[in-house]
Amino acid sequence: MNEPNEKDLVERCRKGEDEAWRELVDRFGQKVYSIAYHFTLKREEAEELAQEVFLKVFENLHRYDGSYPLTAWLVSISRNLCIDRYRRHRREKSFRFVSDDAVLPLLKSDDDPSAEAVRKERAKLLFWALAEIPEDLAEILVLRDLDGLPYEEIGRALQLPDGTVKSRLFRARAEVARKIRERHEEQRSGALATLALAAGGLI
Amino acid sequence: MSCRELERLALEGASTEAQGAHRAVCASCERIGADVDAAIALASGLTAPRVPGALREALLAIPQRTVSCSGAPDLMARALEGGLPDGDAARLRSHLSRCAGCAEAAATLHVLPELVPAGPAPWLLGRIASARPRRRSGGWRKLLDPRAVVAYAYAAAVVVMVAGLNPADLARRAGVGFQANTREAVTVAGSSLADRFGDLQENLIRRFAVLKGRAGGYGRAAISTALALVMKEETPPPPGRPRSGQRGMPRGSQTQMMTWRA
Repeated sequence: MNEPNEKDLVERCRKGEDEAWRELVDRFGQKVYSIAYHFTLKREEAEELAQEVFLKVFENLHRYDGSYPLTAWLVSISRNLCIDRYRRHRREKSFRFVSDDAVLPLLKSDDDPSAEAVRKERAKLLFWALAEIPEDLAEILVLRDLDGLPYEEIGRALQLPDGTVKSRLFRARAEVARKIRERHEEQRSGALATLALAAGGLI
Repeated sequence: MSCRELERLALEGASTEAQGAHRAVCASCERIGADVDAAIALASGLTAPRVPGALREALLAIPQRTVSCSGAPDLMARALEGGLPDGDAARLRSHLSRCAGCAEAAATLHVLPELVPAGPAPWLLGRIASARPRRRSGGWRKLLDPRAVVAYAYAAAVVVMVAGLNPADLARRAGVGFQANTREAVTVAGSSLADRFGDLQENLIRRFAVLKGRAGGYGRAAISTALALVMKEETPPPPGRPRSGQRGMPRGSQTQMMTWRA
């Protein structure tokens, strides 16, 4: 549902009110940066993308007519700018080796180092699996499960019906878990094979 | 193989209990449901990254860095009048670098030559600086490429062969002056070479003659010495009184002497 003051906010921004622009940045900056970071896993690139998004928003304020939520408009711009970078990273296999530093900003602070280490490994595993599944499934999972966007906003941003969004999200979750399970099984069989080889060598 | 019932229930927004009831009786859906739950659990353990303070400041400064499409025409009009401050010119330049519509309008109004001195947009500077430099192959670089030069040489040789342009014939047709110069040069080179060869030959002959003379002298001396020794041994004792029992040699044998004629 569109908030009633969103159109007014945009109108004030168009008139050049600094306070209105500040409000817009503070309200949506976190969401835009979060989307950019989840698509790139690189701080510098995420900052650059976030700036590009807000530059585009500022220059196209006159295009917003208030008929849909401002969030959907921002998400749409963010996704369109991020997806090219995301595709490039997938081509370059950048997500195949997710570093600790990349997932560190995504972890909740915890006093227990062992629990934090487990969460770090799980996060790395998740982003690895996202790079292994089809792109149209991965981006919906990112927008829904990582950025917490409602189905309607995702559908509007991607120009998809809600049913398609839900179906893709269901398949994306199942695919991610299947990829991770297959990887575990491969690692387990590899470890067993290594043990068997070692045992054979000893015998 | 899944019966897809669980997916249908999830899309319809069925309750957790309803989904659980189906999972209890369908092994494949139970496995998929467990996968989905695991993926949700993976994602739920993460939080959103915090916006860096520098980024927030940069976002707040965007109105000072660019201008909206609705504000661009006003700045363009002021630019045409010649009264645009530097700050506004930079904002307009930044906007024109990203907005094709406004850039086209500026080009039509001839605003661009005054404002855009063919430089990269500020937002592109970071990308250009961080981009890996690529070796661009220009026209001259392609023309002077070693492989291209070899290809030119082959092509020239083929043209000469096909056109029947023998280099010797071309040289012959080049003119009398060229031939005279060539002959003169050849003559000079030939005479110089003959002189050197003659000197060498003369020197060798002289040395050979010296060696030959020395060898002849030594040889004659050796033969003379040998003959002298032989003649000395064969020379009879000087005539004297005959020894006892020996009445002397016949007179004729005494008069025979070895003679050697050189």
